[in-house]
Amino acid sequence: MERSLLGGRNAPAACEPRMCESGWVCLRASTQCTDFSLGSISGDDEGRAVTKNRKKWTSLAAVLCTSAMAITAISVGSAGASAGRAGNAAHVSGPVNGGTATVDMPGYPNSLDPQEGYTLNAGEADWIVYTPLLTYAHKSGLAGTQIIPGLATALPVVTDNGTTYTLTLRKGLEYSNGTAVVASDFKFAVERALKLNWGASSFLLVIQGAGAYQSGHASTLTGITTDDATGRITIKLTSSYGAFDNVLCFPALSPVPQTTPMTVQTTHLPPGVGAYTIENIVPDVSFDLVQNPLFAKFHIPGIPLGHLNEIKVEVESNSVSAAEAVLDNQVDAFDVTGNIPPSLLGTIESRASSRFAKVIVASTDYFFLNESMAPFNNEQARIAVSYAVDRNALARLGGGFTVPDCYFVPVGIPGHPTTPCPYPSPNLAKAKALVKAANLVGTKVSVYGWSQSPGEQQVEYYASVLTSIGFKVDLKIINPSIYWSTIGNVKTAAQTGIAGQFLDFPNPGDFFLLLDARNIHPVNSDNFGNVNDPHLQATIVRLEQVPASQLASVANQWAALSVYAAQKVLAYTWGSSQLPEFLSNRINFKTAVFQPLFMDDWSSWELNS
Amino acid sequence: MSRDAQQLVSEGLLPGHRGGGKEPLVVAGLSPSRLALRRLRHNVVALTFGGMFLLIAALCFMAPLYARYVAHTGPNDNHVMETILVGGHRVDVVSPIGIPIGPTWHSRFFFGADFNGRDLAVRLLYGGRNSLIIGFSATAITIVCALVIALLAGYYRGWVDILLTRFLDLLWAYPAVLLGVAIGTSLVLGGLSIGPLHVSGNSLGVPAVIIGFVNIPYVAKPIRGEVLLLREREFVDAARVLGLGPLRIIFSEILPNLSSTIIVFVPLMIANSILLEAGLSYLGAGVQPPNASWGTMISSGVEYITSSPYLVLVPGITLIVAVLGINVFGDGLRDALDPRAAISKAH
Repeated sequence: MERSLLGGRNAPAACEPRMCESGWVCLRASTQCTDFSLGSISGDDEGRAVTKNRKKWTSLAAVLCTSAMAITAISVGSAGASAGRAGNAAHVSGPVNGGTATVDMPGYPNSLDPQEGYTLNAGEADWIVYTPLLTYAHKSGLAGTQIIPGLATALPVVTDNGTTYTLTLRKGLEYSNGTAVVASDFKFAVERALKLNWGASSFLLVIQGAGAYQSGHASTLTGITTDDATGRITIKLTSSYGAFDNVLCFPALSPVPQTTPMTVQTTHLPPGVGAYTIENIVPDVSFDLVQNPLFAKFHIPGIPLGHLNEIKVEVESNSVSAAEAVLDNQVDAFDVTGNIPPSLLGTIESRASSRFAKVIVASTDYFFLNESMAPFNNEQARIAVSYAVDRNALARLGGGFTVPDCYFVPVGIPGHPTTPCPYPSPNLAKAKALVKAANLVGTKVSVYGWSQSPGEQQVEYYASVLTSIGFKVDLKIINPSIYWSTIGNVKTAAQTGIAGQFLDFPNPGDFFLLLDARNIHPVNSDNFGNVNDPHLQATIVRLEQVPASQLASVANQWAALSVYAAQKVLAYTWGSSQLPEFLSNRINFKTAVFQPLFMDDWSSWELNS
Repeated sequence: MSRDAQQLVSEGLLPGHRGGGKEPLVVAGLSPSRLALRRLRHNVVALTFGGMFLLIAALCFMAPLYARYVAHTGPNDNHVMETILVGGHRVDVVSPIGIPIGPTWHSRFFFGADFNGRDLAVRLLYGGRNSLIIGFSATAITIVCALVIALLAGYYRGWVDILLTRFLDLLWAYPAVLLGVAIGTSLVLGGLSIGPLHVSGNSLGVPAVIIGFVNIPYVAKPIRGEVLLLREREFVDAARVLGLGPLRIIFSEILPNLSSTIIVFVPLMIANSILLEAGLSYLGAGVQPPNASWGTMISSGVEYITSSPYLVLVPGITLIVAVLGINVFGDGLRDALDPRAAISKAH
């Protein structure tokens, strides 16, 4: 079953009839809220996800029929007739507190240190351990993109034409070790994130003095002033940045004690203010999240205390083993960062349909093309790649979890174009001709990929296509845990490779940061392709100042920029990902939250009674 | 005639009259190598398994012919979106959810396709070529390096022996697979650079060097023991008395007497090298994608084992047959060369 998260137009994800918005109908049989004026998302021969409009009257008839079927199904299902639903048949009248859940994660987070962790799996843990000043609602679907106060008493007061943010820290907060939280801890956390070259530290450079502090030219971050007595925090920006509220929601900006070393911590993490603490860390192997008994007394609205006592996370790189373990209820969750093996997909969908879902997330899968060196400093070479690669083939290799697309801003984010892709593919003849015309036949190209399905298969296909159009390919498959640091290091001189971006916040700027020249760094660079296009740069800088509340007014400008990026092939975009939500029958699937930004919300999990 | 000679004649291993009469028995002498060859010829099991290995090797080295004239595709050609006719029906080489086609038992995709739509039979043969090239190369490196170390250590003894033996102990103490993975993983990105010589990370030379290197102690130590014995023999003393230098004695007197030992080690080391290469490739530290080897094919196929078990079974069975073939042949060769030999190899 599929549930649309941000796809279509604001489609809610969950499916209880009462949870569907006005005008939407819950198709119980497919567990999907549907606006019958829209259609489902599917791929077409251009490799671009399109929405097909259905006629209202046809959809209404379908709704009535399926509702009738659903009513019948409910009465049958409650008797536990289906083996796949048996584990989840229990009706829970209220949350069940206590217990332990286990999670199989395909790879260890890049770091659990809040000021270093940046990968999806790092965020899953850090988000419920290190609460920032602002955070997101712990809800599925679009509701989960709503910003709410975290450790701050309220949303920031924004003044001085969007360049000054003022917040107040809640009183009486304590870290998990009992130490009091003070306002200056926030400033320390930001400084620490800059010093440790946190993967998204480019977001922080908009703070006055951040650049000087990060480069070592200043001993303190001048753009943030704090008053520990009142809890007041004032942040001054160099220029207006519409998405700065979202930046304040990163766990990296959660306060930590000022005794925390200015080095990355692997086993002795700093304490945080959150529903859980991270303990029993065995790097690259496992870690536990243990409920924080101190958190309950702060009564922070909108942030759950967590039902489970403990969540045990283990690295299991074998996706077959991990999926089978969850299928057999030996492990409670298949982490979203893993890939359900295609060979098991049919079995899972038939045996465990009530606890499995493919969730469409706003994400961009792409191959970066390093424009600082041959051959991809030549636009013809990049266009050749765009002609040669078949997005549908890449989607097929994704095992049914990829939706083809060619635009850098994905479906569901304002600024996703609706025009056809500029270079119809595959067209190998055209691609070969372009490579030949540019005198690039035989040019050596290093192609980077990670040793995890389906990315490894996709990059092997990509490498074979580059070979077929005349390049001399040197394929390098490396461990996922060191992949990003390897391609983000200028010394690696990676010419092209696979990459992807999941939604940090619902703003096109979050995706264009990967093409932003300001994010080219010697290490931990986000702009793997070293893209430095003047028109793109000027437009990004102009549009990112627009407040998030006015995003719709510049959506067409973001869309035009997406088209421009596709025409110049500043990166070769090929699709968006769907992620698996797959739990054992011990966990209440209906109440489990799939947060759009932090994916599985472990604090929402409760055991079936 | 001695009882041994009588037995050999009666077994047909020694030419001579088999009669029980009073005629004098004339026995023609055979060189040790001819004797060994005769023993080997009578070892049907060893020859059969040796033949199996040779057949696999021959097929593997004819991989380009198979790819071009039979399968009409290369080992790295992806056919993700293609369809083929199977039993009169058009079938996806790779299904929309990424499941590859199974064995067709026809020229195209005889053993089926892998997840990238590549012909499994073609990759099996090319992979075998890579595995065998690495196996043979690694064995050559092992034998040469082991011989040098063993000859120097065994002949010179003293501090030379101490240093070299401790080096072998150090190498032997480290688990071969772990050492191979550690070295292989570190060389994947940057390759191997020694002076003007540069080998890229995905070259077959990298796993060959690694495997050759880690296997040195397994050969060097037994040979060193033999050298220690040989250096005390009379012909070596005679050579010294004649004024021959140490190196001349090593290469002209001692080395030829090690030939049977070396010959016995070769097939055993080839088998071991092929196995180790498969293991390293399975762990990602050996042959690098998109190049095929039996180990990488097994590793890649594990994820699809429930839906497409042939992805693991085909390379796995081929690996077993090849290694078993050369191992059994090697045992037979050892028996033929020296029936009383007690060479053992620790794994």
